[in-house]
Amino acid sequence: MKTSQSRKSVRGARKDRGDRVGFNANPLLTVAIPAWRSKLLLFVLFVSFVALGGRAFYLMGGVTTAFLQRQGEARYARTLEVPATRGRVTDRNGIVLASSVPARAVWAIPDDVEATSAQVVEIARLLNVNVGELKRRLANDDRSFVYLRRQVDVEVVERIDELKIPGIHASREFKRYYPEGMNSAHVVGFTNVEDRGQEGVELAFERELAGRAGSRRVIKDRLGRIVEDDWLREPVDGRDVALSIDSRVQYIAFSALKGAVEKHRAKAGAAIVVDVRTGEVLALANWPSYDPNVRGRLSGDAIRNRVLTDTFEPGSTMKPFSVATALEAGKVRPDTRIQTAPGRMTIGDRTIGDAHAHGVLTVEEVVAKSSNVGTAKIALELPAQALWEAYTAFGFGQAPRIGFPGAVAGRLRPAKTWRPIEQATISYGHGVSVTLAQMARAYTVFARDGEMVSLTLTKSDSSTPAVRVLSADTARAMRRMLEMAVGDEGTAPAARIAGYRVAGKTGTAQKLKNGQYVKEYVASFVGFAPVSDPRVVIAVMVDEPGTDVYYGGQVAAPVFAQIAGATLRTLQVAPDGPLETPKALVALRQAP
Amino acid sequence: MIRRAWLVLVTLLLFSCALALITAQFRSRSLFVDLESAQQEARQLDVDYDRLKIDLARLSQPASVERAAQKLGFRAPDAAQTVYLNLPQSSAASPVAPGSKR
Repeated sequence: MKTSQSRKSVRGARKDRGDRVGFNANPLLTVAIPAWRSKLLLFVLFVSFVALGGRAFYLMGGVTTAFLQRQGEARYARTLEVPATRGRVTDRNGIVLASSVPARAVWAIPDDVEATSAQVVEIARLLNVNVGELKRRLANDDRSFVYLRRQVDVEVVERIDELKIPGIHASREFKRYYPEGMNSAHVVGFTNVEDRGQEGVELAFERELAGRAGSRRVIKDRLGRIVEDDWLREPVDGRDVALSIDSRVQYIAFSALKGAVEKHRAKAGAAIVVDVRTGEVLALANWPSYDPNVRGRLSGDAIRNRVLTDTFEPGSTMKPFSVATALEAGKVRPDTRIQTAPGRMTIGDRTIGDAHAHGVLTVEEVVAKSSNVGTAKIALELPAQALWEAYTAFGFGQAPRIGFPGAVAGRLRPAKTWRPIEQATISYGHGVSVTLAQMARAYTVFARDGEMVSLTLTKSDSSTPAVRVLSADTARAMRRMLEMAVGDEGTAPAARIAGYRVAGKTGTAQKLKNGQYVKEYVASFVGFAPVSDPRVVIAVMVDEPGTDVYYGGQVAAPVFAQIAGATLRTLQVAPDGPLETPKALVALRQAP
Repeated sequence: MIRRAWLVLVTLLLFSCALALITAQFRSRSLFVDLESAQQEARQLDVDYDRLKIDLARLSQPASVERAAQKLGFRAPDAAQTVYLNLPQSSAASPVAPGSKR
């Protein structure tokens, strides 16, 4: 092409000069060219083609094929990570307790960043970080990668993108939201920034909740659009987990507990509500609590799940189990009379006592009035081994199989090591430690005519298998006694509620610190309602009430009443008791 | 002569096949682009749905409902104010659970 053009221009130039030379008369044609020149040319061309062919063959079929193919593909093919979403945690009615939405991690390569001061201020405003801190991070030239902020909303990152500052990038991640916040923090737990479970259900069900990221090979066109793809691995989203928690009941329990802990200036409190029929945990509340959405300020004290991971000496809430064991063994009957005067009893070199001296009591009254001496006398009728076996059957000293991280067993020493004084104190709940969840589970025995169900934190459609621990007759007799305990003569009239018959037992245990009993108490109440056909077991524990009021009947029983009343209404349980609030009770509630 | 006609015919066929292949490839790619953007939209809608679910849960929290109710001067009815109806035996045996569709 080029040569013909140049020839044309040569011809044109000649034309202008009017000097015409015919093609035939070209003087070049007359020059004699040696034949070897054209042969040489031909040979050179041939060798060149052979070289090209050889090179092509070498590239196509030689050792470097893989490298070249990779290089070629790198121009148009990409492998994309396809993130999987973590499963949702919902309550039993499908209300979201924890859910993940996409977010971005904003990071920078300090060397590459070229931003004006105004732009830095703007980024700091958008990311909601300190300007000085941001400048310091961007000035950090030692590092080739700094996070500016993680878990940023996608919209915010879009606004940062609009600023078009080189060196600032964003990568995909997820942010976990906990709409119920503090209410259910201890059940649900929380994840870390990598979206892995750290506490509670988030940790216990990590395997179900966690998704598996996939990847796919795609071919992109000139505009960056994906035109073909090939799945290397399909992503698997995490499964949703439906808990047994009812968020309405959870709120009821949480707010009642919080109110009580604040009113009595207590150190902490815990409450659990269990469905008697299925063993499902309807609510599990703790105070102090924390907001899992704001993970910067988590203290160990607030994270502790006192229902499952803290043990305490239960005190009198233990008595019904000792009495039930004696009833079951036929040692006593509900109307057997026991002498508890003078309200003290010496075993070996130690003396145990009642808060008030009572005189002669029936077994029913021993429970209703919570007599330590009476319970100890009943328990001492039994061999230690029989008592130990009974307590073990009620689940004490054994870690519950609830699938919750950190759930503990409590402490019940083997019967061989019990001295008589210890057999006496254990019978009324000292020298033994339990968790609140164990207590609630053990009380299902009385609520269910002698059978005990396992607790579960997940919603279960089928009825959970139950284990028979007591005969139905003994369980009914215990129900009657526990209802007497909330009667006018009992220790916990404040546990009563309008509309429903309730039953339960108070506990006021002195705390053991460094091997010494100190003047600090754990006030507790465990009960169930409605007595005619129990639906819920509720256990409440208030740790170290700070005021002069520290008895279980004064501190924990009103919390039980509040939770039970609202819960039974929420669950639409038909009332089985008088609808009027007893006058005595009104006066009692209004008293400071 | 016939051979030449065959040759032309086959050549034309070859060319039309080649063009058809290109068109098909192009169409498949542009359809794939549409599919991809539709899937992207579906994903975005999923995310929006999740977000709305979270918002719903946050706004329907008993705590905020209670606050709003208090502002309006509402009170929870106590047991004495509640009227209990005795349903016929059949339906009383299976009480309507809140939120269930019946």
